[in-house]
Amino acid sequence: MRARLLIVCLCGSLLLTCVAISDRNALAADESCDRACLTGMVDQYLVAMVAHDPSKLPLAKDVKFTEDGVPLQLGDGLWATAGGLGTYKLYFAEPESDAVGAYAVVQENGSAAILALRLKVAKRRITEIETLVARKPTTSFLNTDNLTEPRPIFLETVPPADRPSRQEMVSMVGKYFDGIEQGNGDIVPFDPDCIRIENGIQTCPSSASSPLGALSCGAQLSTKIFTYIQSVSPRRFPVVDRERGLVLAVVRFNHPGTQQTVEVPGRGKMTMGRYSQWPNSTQIAELFKIKDRKIKEITAVIVTAAYKAPMGWE
Amino acid sequence: MRRKITVIATAAVFLLAAGIEESSRLRTFAAKPNAVEASCDGACLNRFVDQYLDAVVAHDPSGLPLKKTVKFTEDGQRLDVGDGFWRTATARGTYKYYMDDPVAGQVVFFGTMREAGNPVSLVLRLKIEEKQIAEIETIVVRTGMNSSRPADTGAESFEKLGGPDPLFLEEIPPAERVSRDELARTANKYFSGMQLNDGKGDYSFFADDCSRIENGQQATQGRNTMASGSAPANSYTVMQGCRAQFQSGLIHFVTRIRDRRFVVLDTVHGVALAFTFFDHAAGNTRTFQTPDGKTVTAGPTNPWTWEIAEAFKVENGKIRRILAIFQRCPYGMNSGWSSWEDGMSDKARW
Repeated sequence: MRARLLIVCLCGSLLLTCVAISDRNALAADESCDRACLTGMVDQYLVAMVAHDPSKLPLAKDVKFTEDGVPLQLGDGLWATAGGLGTYKLYFAEPESDAVGAYAVVQENGSAAILALRLKVAKRRITEIETLVARKPTTSFLNTDNLTEPRPIFLETVPPADRPSRQEMVSMVGKYFDGIEQGNGDIVPFDPDCIRIENGIQTCPSSASSPLGALSCGAQLSTKIFTYIQSVSPRRFPVVDRERGLVLAVVRFNHPGTQQTVEVPGRGKMTMGRYSQWPNSTQIAELFKIKDRKIKEITAVIVTAAYKAPMGWE
Repeated sequence: MRRKITVIATAAVFLLAAGIEESSRLRTFAAKPNAVEASCDGACLNRFVDQYLDAVVAHDPSGLPLKKTVKFTEDGQRLDVGDGFWRTATARGTYKYYMDDPVAGQVVFFGTMREAGNPVSLVLRLKIEEKQIAEIETIVVRTGMNSSRPADTGAESFEKLGGPDPLFLEEIPPAERVSRDELARTANKYFSGMQLNDGKGDYSFFADDCSRIENGQQATQGRNTMASGSAPANSYTVMQGCRAQFQSGLIHFVTRIRDRRFVVLDTVHGVALAFTFFDHAAGNTRTFQTPDGKTVTAGPTNPWTWEIAEAFKVENGKIRRILAIFQRCPYGMNSGWSSWEDGMSDKARW
């Protein structure tokens, strides 16, 4: 009799445990946010922003929002001015870490701006919103004329067997920033045909008519013309989309203003870019396409900032 | 006998004046006690400024009397002492204006400098504690940072002026001096009248001859009347006086004047100086009505902010002169000296 009672009790508690585990799994399934869910969050965000109405969003209570490195109340900044969206939208996601990023062209009182957006999600609610907005007054160069559709390479899927690990992908991108600091393109795993587009403008390879002449992305770095960028710090890699071979780096280039010229072999003494002229920084959201373990293409949103201005997430 | 009465009367006036001044000082001490007043007067504070700037040009902070906990910001960003402008400054310029507040142990300097040979305008605030520099706050206006005048840092204009309007240097007669609180309150009316300006406020705090200089350039006509012609329909003009500009209701696009920190309250000269930020939200506040009923759309088309240091000469409860140095900064930026909440608040602090 005692043994029978024990068996009944065990079965009962096992059943309760099973029910509890099953409930937890159901809850976890409900709270997870896959790629479609994450990119859907971006869609919702953009629609709410243009409607100037953050109440439409599934926000966590303690959601944090920055624009150009400055913490703002959600609804302020671009939320108050965005009048419409362009056709250019490029999304990338990392469901493993509930992170998603996007670039989009936004109309703001008649002028086009480029928005770089990063969202972090927990339990299907937005907990972090980081934005950089490249506008004519806040950056020395911007051209949205060619930003109608994302370049197809950013949408290509990498076969599962060819996908490097997150760590490998971050390491490759890190070498790009090391190459800038050191003025050495040889240490960067560039594809020979790598293209870089910054604020809508192609900056490498440079054209034959440019002051540097026709140079690849790597060869440009090796001229040391960019060594006025004394440090690329801090560096964060908040979204790594292994499925598409994309890495989003959010970094700050620091220009102390102490070096304005450089000796370029074959070209003599050259004046560096305008950011070399005084202490300042640029805050950058830079997306890298990695293909066959090489950096194939780069696209960046760049905003001018005060020297070493915090990005709001350090 | 008559002489004796005169002497007694004079003494009474003197005592009365001294009493008013003493009473004012007591109120000030009650509001913000500070032990350094006796140890670092105006001349002492100014020497700290000179010592600091000489060290900046020499790129060598090692000889400065710095507190161990010294904090340094440049353009709102915290840096190590020795970084930023310390590495690029090449010479001092000729424009110099020192504003001292021995009670608070603070001095603010408006001046010109050279950076890699280029003229720049500088705002420097030092807080001195126990004859050591405890706080260093700077704004460096450089070429390219001011988008409305991209090639003009204001420095050349300042140097053409030679120095501050002499009125700033005149002492207020002792009997007419006001408390620190009253000085700050009067100056703060300027910010409150400009924020979301609608032209309907009481702008009697402007003296009739009020004038304003911004980054070395005249920003008002000397009189509160239109000098000639008429103002454009949707913009105030430098041809107007201080009061007329406010009465136009056309400065509505300054949506928030926040983080108003009055760091110098010099009751002897009637000078108040505040660091603050002028936000332009650029959203639906761009369209507004002027006092004459016109609907106007004006102002910046995207969100951005002026980072400002603004000095006021106040006499008899009215603002006679305004002198500002400012530059563009990211919308909503913090000064580096305020909590986020204080940095976003439009309440004045001193």
